[in-house]
Amino acid sequence: MSAFHFDGLVWHWPIAIYLFLAGLSAGAVFFAIMLKHFKLADKAYLSPFVQAAAVIAPIAVCAGLGILVIDLTKPLAFWKILVFYNTSSVMSMGVLVLLVYQVMLFAWLGSVFSTPIQQWLKQRLPLLSKLLAQLARHEDVITGVLVILSLSLGAYTGFLLSALIGFPLLNNPVLPLLFLISGLSSGAAATLLGGVLMRGNPNGVEVRFIHRIEIPMILVEIALLFTFFAGLILSGGQSQVAAMKAIGEGFWGWIFWAGVVGVGLTLPLAFNLWMKVSSDRKFAYVAVTASFSLIGVLLLRNFILYTGQMTAV
Amino acid sequence: MDNSKRRFLKGCGGVIAGMSVYTVTQPPQANTAEQVSELKYAMVHDENLCIGCNACEDACRKVNNVPDGVTRVNIERSGPFGEYPNQSYRFSRHSCQHCEAAPCVKVCPTGAAYIDEETGIVAVNEDRCVGCQYCIAACPYQIRFINPETRVADKCDFCQQTQLSEGLLPACVLACPTNALVFGNLKDPASALVKTLKSKPTYRDKVDLGTRPKLFHVRTIDGEIVL
Repeated sequence: MSAFHFDGLVWHWPIAIYLFLAGLSAGAVFFAIMLKHFKLADKAYLSPFVQAAAVIAPIAVCAGLGILVIDLTKPLAFWKILVFYNTSSVMSMGVLVLLVYQVMLFAWLGSVFSTPIQQWLKQRLPLLSKLLAQLARHEDVITGVLVILSLSLGAYTGFLLSALIGFPLLNNPVLPLLFLISGLSSGAAATLLGGVLMRGNPNGVEVRFIHRIEIPMILVEIALLFTFFAGLILSGGQSQVAAMKAIGEGFWGWIFWAGVVGVGLTLPLAFNLWMKVSSDRKFAYVAVTASFSLIGVLLLRNFILYTGQMTAV
Repeated sequence: MDNSKRRFLKGCGGVIAGMSVYTVTQPPQANTAEQVSELKYAMVHDENLCIGCNACEDACRKVNNVPDGVTRVNIERSGPFGEYPNQSYRFSRHSCQHCEAAPCVKVCPTGAAYIDEETGIVAVNEDRCVGCQYCIAACPYQIRFINPETRVADKCDFCQQTQLSEGLLPACVLACPTNALVFGNLKDPASALVKTLKSKPTYRDKVDLGTRPKLFHVRTIDGEIVL
């Protein structure tokens, strides 16, 4: 049995990348909103970190959906998924969340960046100006709804897999929470990486704010990961077989311990703690820590997707 | 600050009110239960009678135009069991179980996977299928596949489109030389199917998942006990 091809494998790596990008988009939006709400207020649009999140979030979600559509066996029929709905299907409800999320995301971008866009427009396109003014006036409502939608989207990526009753590793109530938290941390990492690449101050208020949230978030993620596998092993039967096959042996065992636990969680946690005590953040520190987090989350998505399908009930 | 909170709460209240009105406007569930069909198809595979000749698979392929490389039904052979010269194989039918609570139907985003209310058959609406393969991943029996010619999720439908529409039994049942397959109406007490179910002990696969499958098996009785 090879790591990427085995009996019973239905969903391949494009789905893992889609899950990664959707979670990343949700996380970037979530942290951009938190930055604006708690630290930056009206000056948010000037921050390279908020700007980075504003670029990353829509591109990530659109790219993820693009990958998803190409991965269909009938890509040109994708519109049917937007027309026909099934309330008992997680995927169908996810499509609904994604649609509303994208609309609200662009509305939020319009409201947060209305000042610079208005300046750039200079009375041209009066209709667009009016729309932006409307959006800016309703920013509070848009923000509130978008926070809920981003959390829903992050959790949805987990529910999509946990609805598969034939695979004990996937059909696990901890999975949506694990994907939500790791998605948020990937969004935070992408925001940090994008921000410092756009010449944001690596020792600035934004980085300090996100890092302060990141340490407890990594700890929660470790606890969730532990609960996830401890729960499977204690369940016995095929659940135990699935867990041991995933983390106890072979290629995916290495990916889990070295990639997900080592590079994705332990090193970022160590770097974050180091930056906290040294209270001096440099570009390289921030960029490397963020890159490690991103790699870890991407590996986690692939690891769960593949090992989940390895063991059936 | 307080003002924005109030407006956000107002917005939430509006959404909740809208949603509650929407659920009231939905047709009550009782409406669909009115026309209960007198027909519910099921199948029994008697593993004692099966000789593993694969005639069922060949007949299915021919009648339903199933391309090479994929199949709607296959007979899994395990063994040999016992000591030479008293050795035997066991055969188990692997095909759609036509679950009453079908996971594939539950997860299908477009409703392409559906249960035919008339017959209880789990069927595929080819027009609606977009090929997301969620049903293939969701089926605990792993019997769904993508038809390489139509690019659509495919599986056994008890020959709904072919044999049944012409008033014939499913192709596999007709092809079986030992009459190991019994097909019929679960709601008809006089049917051969119900008589078989009442006279032989049967089992169904993975019932603990709550799928309530309608493919029954009569377990092999010869040979050794396998744990």
